[in-house]
Amino acid sequence: MARLSLRGIKKRFKTTDVLHGIDLEIGDREFVVFVGPSGCGKSTLLRLIAGLDPITEGTFTLNGKSMNDVPPSRRGIAMVFQSYALYPHMDVYENMAFGARLMGLTKAEIEARIDEAARMLRLEPYLKRKPRELSGGQRQRVAIARALVRKPEVFLLDEPLSNLDAALRSDVRLEIARLHRQIGGTMIYVTHDQVEAMTLADKIVVMNQGRIEQVGSPRELYETPANTFVATFIGSPRMALIDVTREGARVGVAGGGSQTLDRMPADANGAFKIGVRPDGLALARGNGGDGFAASVVYTEYLGDNAFVYARLADGTQVGIRTAPGEFYEPDEAVTVTIAPSAAHFFSAADGRRLAA
Amino acid sequence: MPQLRLTGRGLWITVLIAPPLAFVALFIVYPIVAAFAYAFYDWQGLMRGDFVGLANFHQVLFVEPYASWTRNAFTHNIIVFFALMVLQNGVGFILAYALWRELPGARFHRVAVFLPVVLSTIIVGYLWKLFLHPLFGVVNQSLKAVGLPFLAQPWLGQDTTALWALIFANAWHMVGFPTLVFLAGMQRIPGEILDAVRMETESEWVKITKIVWPLVAPSATVVFVLLFVGAFNWFELPYIMAGLDGSPYGSTDVLGLYFYRTAFGNVSAGQQNFGLGSALAVLIFVFIAAVASVITVRLRAREIQI
Repeated sequence: MARLSLRGIKKRFKTTDVLHGIDLEIGDREFVVFVGPSGCGKSTLLRLIAGLDPITEGTFTLNGKSMNDVPPSRRGIAMVFQSYALYPHMDVYENMAFGARLMGLTKAEIEARIDEAARMLRLEPYLKRKPRELSGGQRQRVAIARALVRKPEVFLLDEPLSNLDAALRSDVRLEIARLHRQIGGTMIYVTHDQVEAMTLADKIVVMNQGRIEQVGSPRELYETPANTFVATFIGSPRMALIDVTREGARVGVAGGGSQTLDRMPADANGAFKIGVRPDGLALARGNGGDGFAASVVYTEYLGDNAFVYARLADGTQVGIRTAPGEFYEPDEAVTVTIAPSAAHFFSAADGRRLAA
Repeated sequence: MPQLRLTGRGLWITVLIAPPLAFVALFIVYPIVAAFAYAFYDWQGLMRGDFVGLANFHQVLFVEPYASWTRNAFTHNIIVFFALMVLQNGVGFILAYALWRELPGARFHRVAVFLPVVLSTIIVGYLWKLFLHPLFGVVNQSLKAVGLPFLAQPWLGQDTTALWALIFANAWHMVGFPTLVFLAGMQRIPGEILDAVRMETESEWVKITKIVWPLVAPSATVVFVLLFVGAFNWFELPYIMAGLDGSPYGSTDVLGLYFYRTAFGNVSAGQQNFGLGSALAVLIFVFIAAVASVITVRLRAREIQI
């Protein structure tokens, strides 16, 4: 059992406020991913949970007990670091045994735990090697195994894949997902990579500038982003945000055409933003007719499909998914139309989601 | 076969390397080789006598009173080495750890600890001779002032305390050096490794003995070897504070002083024997070179790359 509860967590380094009041509940066996651009405070929040940095304000409880003043080693939390942080002078076995010995486990118990962790992460052939004799992927597996041996209630992983190359990254990602299913502990994972977040998480916490923007399942975040930040952060290529004004049943872009929409945000009369992902936009050659006039900027060919980037009359750039066979020349005049069902509506003033 | 041509670059290199090479050859290599040669001859003042083989070595090692003088001085060097290992390198390690943990005032203390190292040994020697003056010295004055008059001793004047007073002065002078080297070693340890340890224990003792100490092994090699060489070449400080005889009663005599006295003579001893002196110099050199190499090789083996 591990339930974490963060209430009004603030963190200040000297005079800089890094976290401005974080409220978050994390349930048992949940896989939670903190995601956000660099500098958003996600790693800081992780370090507060680990106990590596003191909490300036607010309370953090684990299973109802306040952890604010408990040293990191007594929280029942293990952490996997971005640089792996293996002890360079100890072999793989010793790296795993070090923490277990400090916990006061019996020799037999330590042996058993190391055997189990080494088997799970396929490290048996490397137990006598020093970290420098291992590849990046192997080192990362040792770091994870070292955390496993302590049988913590909560696993923290701080950008564990960012030092690996792309091919290895997806392997270790699968490994982590499998491990979570197998051992079922609570995992908190920090990344700036939204693909990692989407593929691993039960629950994603999107952070920006020291605040939580939205908490939800990958699907919730993708389908009902709470604001323009989450809308553009999740999904690739990013969602287009188009500034429109309402003209009865039509919406228009300044100086560049209009189209009818059968859904409209309830409480927006004048101007608002429409967010559309690349597959919610359609493209037609030439200007005129229903839709927004645009000119092609460039085309990205990806084999199974292609993305055309076009600039609307007001300068907004939008990405449109098209069939890979269709080619558009740069500067070609095109007309972009929005599929009404794919439109998200956001307030022009503060970027918040507007109900349709 | 590659041809050797004197290019412009090669000429420059030759011009730049030749003077220091000549300097080293003349003032370092030649004296060492010469001392080796001198040690095998009988000497009458500055006049070289007959070739005597190993007789000089035999005399300083096995013939009285030289044998006991050699033993006495060598024993003191050993004491100095081990005492400074604790008082200088040990304290230096602890100071480095304290500075590294950024305790309050770390910035000031970083300078303060290193400051005496900059002073010349001559100045430090005279300074501590004044400090330790039995009547007017600041040490005894302070002890009396705080109500501990029975601790006020003639530190440099009695054989039980003289050597230790010198060792203490040396440690005070040089402790900043191992501190600086250890501190540099500690600062090379990646922050995440320390975070990883903190996730597993809160004991400073475990952190120091199991993580920090093994990871500063390269620094330890440097300060151990330098201290070894320094301790067995110890000369300036005892020379200034205790004189050429290692007074009182030879209780501060070390190989450096003993060699100097034997080779170049002394007001009280009167004898001057280049042969015996050179034999001593050669023995000291060989001993230091051999042990320092062994220490280096053994300590290198436990160094790991971070």
